Amino acid sequence: MLNLVFLIPLLPLIGFVLLGVFGSKLPKFVSGAIACTTVLVSFLITLTLLGGVLSGSIVSETITYFDWINTDGIYLPMSFLIDPLSVWMMTIITGVGFLIHLYSAGYMSHDEGFARYFTFLNLFVFSMLMLVMGSNFVVMFAGWEGVGFCSYMLIGFWFKNTNYNNAAKKAFIMNRVGDLGFLIGMLLIFVKVGSLEYATVFGQAPLVFESGTTDIVVITLCLFVGAMGKSAQIPLYTWLPDAMAGPTPVSALIHAATMVTAGIYMIVRSNVLYTLAPFTQDFIMIIGLCTALFAATIGLVQNDIKKVLAYSTVSQLGYMFFALGLGAYTTGLFHVTTHAFFKALLFLGSGSVIHAMSGEQDIRSMGGLRKKLPITFLTFLIGTIAIAGIPPFAGFFSKDEILAYAYQRSPILWALGILGALMTTFYMFRMFFLTFFGEFRGTEHQRSHLHESPLIMTLPLMILSILSIAGGFLGVPHVLGGHNWFGHYLSGVAPVKELALDHSTEILLMSISVALVLVVIIIAYVIYVSKKQVPVSEGSTLTTPHRVLYNKYYIDELYDALFSKTLRWKSEWFYKLLEKGGIDSLVNGIGKGVQWSGKTLRMAQTGNISTYLFLMVLGIILLLIITGLLV
Amino acid sequence: MKTIILLSVLGIVAMMADIFKYRAVLWYLVLAGIGAAVGLELLEWNQNMPYYGMLLMDNYAVAFSCIILGLLFVWFLVSRDSYTGQEFNDADHYALILFSSVGALLMVSFVDLSLMFLGIEILSIPLYILAGSRKKDLSSNESSLKYFLMGSFTTGILLFGITLVYGATGTFHIERIASAIGNSTMPVYFYTGIALLVVGFGFKVSAVPFHFWTPDVYQGAPTFITAYMSTIVKTAGFAGFYRLFSTSFSNARMPELMEGTTWSILVIVLIVLTIVIGNLIAAYQTNAKRMLAYSGVAQAGYMLMAVLVSQVEDNTKSSLMLYMASYGLATLAAFTVLYYVQKSKGSDEFEAFTSLGKTNPLLAAVLTISMLSLAGIPPTAGFFAKFYLFTSVLKANPSLLWLVGVAIFGSLVSVYYYFKLIISMYGSDEKSTAEVPTNMAYQFILVAIVLIILFLGIQPGLITNLANL
Repeated sequence: MLNLVFLIPLLPLIGFVLLGVFGSKLPKFVSGAIACTTVLVSFLITLTLLGGVLSGSIVSETITYFDWINTDGIYLPMSFLIDPLSVWMMTIITGVGFLIHLYSAGYMSHDEGFARYFTFLNLFVFSMLMLVMGSNFVVMFAGWEGVGFCSYMLIGFWFKNTNYNNAAKKAFIMNRVGDLGFLIGMLLIFVKVGSLEYATVFGQAPLVFESGTTDIVVITLCLFVGAMGKSAQIPLYTWLPDAMAGPTPVSALIHAATMVTAGIYMIVRSNVLYTLAPFTQDFIMIIGLCTALFAATIGLVQNDIKKVLAYSTVSQLGYMFFALGLGAYTTGLFHVTTHAFFKALLFLGSGSVIHAMSGEQDIRSMGGLRKKLPITFLTFLIGTIAIAGIPPFAGFFSKDEILAYAYQRSPILWALGILGALMTTFYMFRMFFLTFFGEFRGTEHQRSHLHESPLIMTLPLMILSILSIAGGFLGVPHVLGGHNWFGHYLSGVAPVKELALDHSTEILLMSISVALVLVVIIIAYVIYVSKKQVPVSEGSTLTTPHRVLYNKYYIDELYDALFSKTLRWKSEWFYKLLEKGGIDSLVNGIGKGVQWSGKTLRMAQTGNISTYLFLMVLGIILLLIITGLLV
Repeated sequence: MKTIILLSVLGIVAMMADIFKYRAVLWYLVLAGIGAAVGLELLEWNQNMPYYGMLLMDNYAVAFSCIILGLLFVWFLVSRDSYTGQEFNDADHYALILFSSVGALLMVSFVDLSLMFLGIEILSIPLYILAGSRKKDLSSNESSLKYFLMGSFTTGILLFGITLVYGATGTFHIERIASAIGNSTMPVYFYTGIALLVVGFGFKVSAVPFHFWTPDVYQGAPTFITAYMSTIVKTAGFAGFYRLFSTSFSNARMPELMEGTTWSILVIVLIVLTIVIGNLIAAYQTNAKRMLAYSGVAQAGYMLMAVLVSQVEDNTKSSLMLYMASYGLATLAAFTVLYYVQKSKGSDEFEAFTSLGKTNPLLAAVLTISMLSLAGIPPTAGFFAKFYLFTSVLKANPSLLWLVGVAIFGSLVSVYYYFKLIISMYGSDEKSTAEVPTNMAYQFILVAIVLIILFLGIQPGLITNLANL
């Protein structure tokens, strides 16, 4: 079982190389088949590992393949850590990844960049697997950078559109800010502990660091900055909504189900460090909660189907960090899992809608699609219910667990969490009703073209909706007669946080949240189905709060003024003064010096053999004189 | 030992090919022979077998023999194209190359100075002929004559050095020399002998100021002979240099000279001169072949650093092995591309490489990766080769930080001329000229070489862990 582990990342890499080299010459069918098969086989091998973990035969195995750097003081092996956490992430990555590959084969079938698309999609799966499989921070960082690169390439996939390119650049640059934090954190760990192997670092950490000291707080904060970038938290979240420029399946895989959860994975993996830094935990909790609420308010008024989902993703990621900040690591990962199912489903569903609408993404031009797209409609409904948190769908269990921990900390946190959940419910159902109910509001051309997507696209939707229904049963809480199986599954990696609420309180909290969610759904139904309200069209005057929300709190403009403009101003200044005056002349001077000395020294190379021998003899005399002086 | 015999027999077989008319299959025969030689060599691993007090097949000898045989194998693969024409008689050339390689194998496994000298001569004499094998070409003749004259001059110096050392210690055996030194102070002529040996080896590995032959000979000789000289000959030279000095002379220190040995000062002088002068002149070149020649000079400066610290740090030998392997592969690949360009364009100036990136993307990519590796840029093998070498110098003696500084300065300059070649392939907007014709099989070999370079860049431990055994 374990001797096949290397194939899991290798197969997508082989797919990447094959498609990268021969992709343009292969027929689309073959490219698609290569891409899907490699990921499918990886998934099957991962399943055998999962079987091993579940049966208890694999607890925590480190497999070292070779030493990358091995000198005094620096030992960096290329090795994988196979334990419940990494296997779980691998299952999600390859499983959901395969479904999305399959879907993409249909979705991208008319695109001329078909092979290029799958090249990077395979590379992404490889990098993401490296990220979660590595047994040290370096391998994780390699994967971390790899997924960032693939994300950049795929956001700017349609590179002829300047806006898309800008979105790709924005994502890359914002991620770089985070990566720098991650890198600094990593190097600090190395300085303090002397190793980057998880086993050593987490084993030594309680001995090296005292709880709450500056060292550990700085390290964990730096790592968290990395997570902020990759997982789109305040203040580094603005790239994610723009990242929707990429093809929709990319949004589903990279910007919803897997890559953006890398930050959560990293924190769960390093939970030993975070538990030692209560300050960082509180910080994460506040950032997470703020992001969850902030993004949800923006989501309330967006009209682009993918933008709504994007803000919803940011908001849900905020929830996950909220859970981590509360110390409920396993709960955070539980929400990662259920979110991967329902958000991938929703994105793919929206892709199916966009496909049917010939590329239209504005929900104001949709409506009444449920009859034309029955499967998409039904699966989308399942996804929407799951994210809203209605039992027994997946989102209910994970969200409820987070809220229970919040209540245990403080009822105010719980109330804020509920507020976010209600906003989520509202904007999701607003979008759902506007898309699938009422009258069709698009053009005649779009109407005539409406069709349900082919089976290759609807099949992943169906599988994901089954997972969105059933995924929650992985972590049924004790109060509902379950055993929180998921928490126990991960207990070897991250401790399960104690939940000390009495059962009646827990039941009460659940009932309140479910009741409120139902009320919000009814409100949304009344507004958008009964009263047939449609968001006002572009250009009409909005009320001030609405306008602020619609323009996303003007955060982009703020960043532009605060960072881009000042940066441009500074670089202008540096360019004129330092670059032109100082560095340029220095560099040119050195270059000229090298040229001149090369030219001069070359004179010795006369081609004349007697000169050569003469100079050689001079050299010999020089060496003999030195020897003579020493002796 | 068996390998040496096998290779000698193989040389004789090659010589007979014309008489008994099997030239058509000779190439395959030679390749199979070298493959078998590698197998035989591997059987000697961990045996530590001495042969008549002359050779000792320790792991150092086996590892370097394998590197030499591996490079030789690659050389035979890539040089095939130049022997399919009528210009050279491949049977003669192959025989000479194989004999020369026997010398190379002797140089990595000797324990007796007389055999070391024999190895150097066996290595060199066929090369004097091969360098001049383009009989009607004036520069080839010049190359051969210059090499011969200066080579024989150094041979005299080398012998003189051996004689003095023998006079002082009374033995040719390199381990007995070391024990003869013990902790006693030796007579002055002993140290003179060591200095002359430094000169002799300095010439063989083309260290400044004994490098003057290198550019002229490299440029005049047929391209693949140059490739052979700058890879396999250099590897053998350094392996011999390292073996002799680390075994015999690591105790040759003066009582008042606590840090290091007398000759380490000499080697430091050579390193600084070689790195600075080699790189500076290389930066001025406009001819690719000559640039590679100077690059070979400059690289020798880095390799000398391994010899310098050989007395202190036992695992510098693995750094040297990695360096030789990565340098050898990258240089062979670069010369192969150079050969094709020269063949179709009739010139080996930088201009001949213009827009190679468009006409032959594969050749251009191969050359680019070789250049990156020579410049020492990750993820190629060259990066780790330099990295390990520099760290082992610092580990041996932290006060040599300034020397590593010089080496890094040299690497910076080298980036300039290595990249100049890359830029000339990709940077120009010129209308693409005719494609350089290549054979599918050779392209495949080149790709394989590049993959090995990249693989060693990801897993340098493959070679560096050898020394721990």
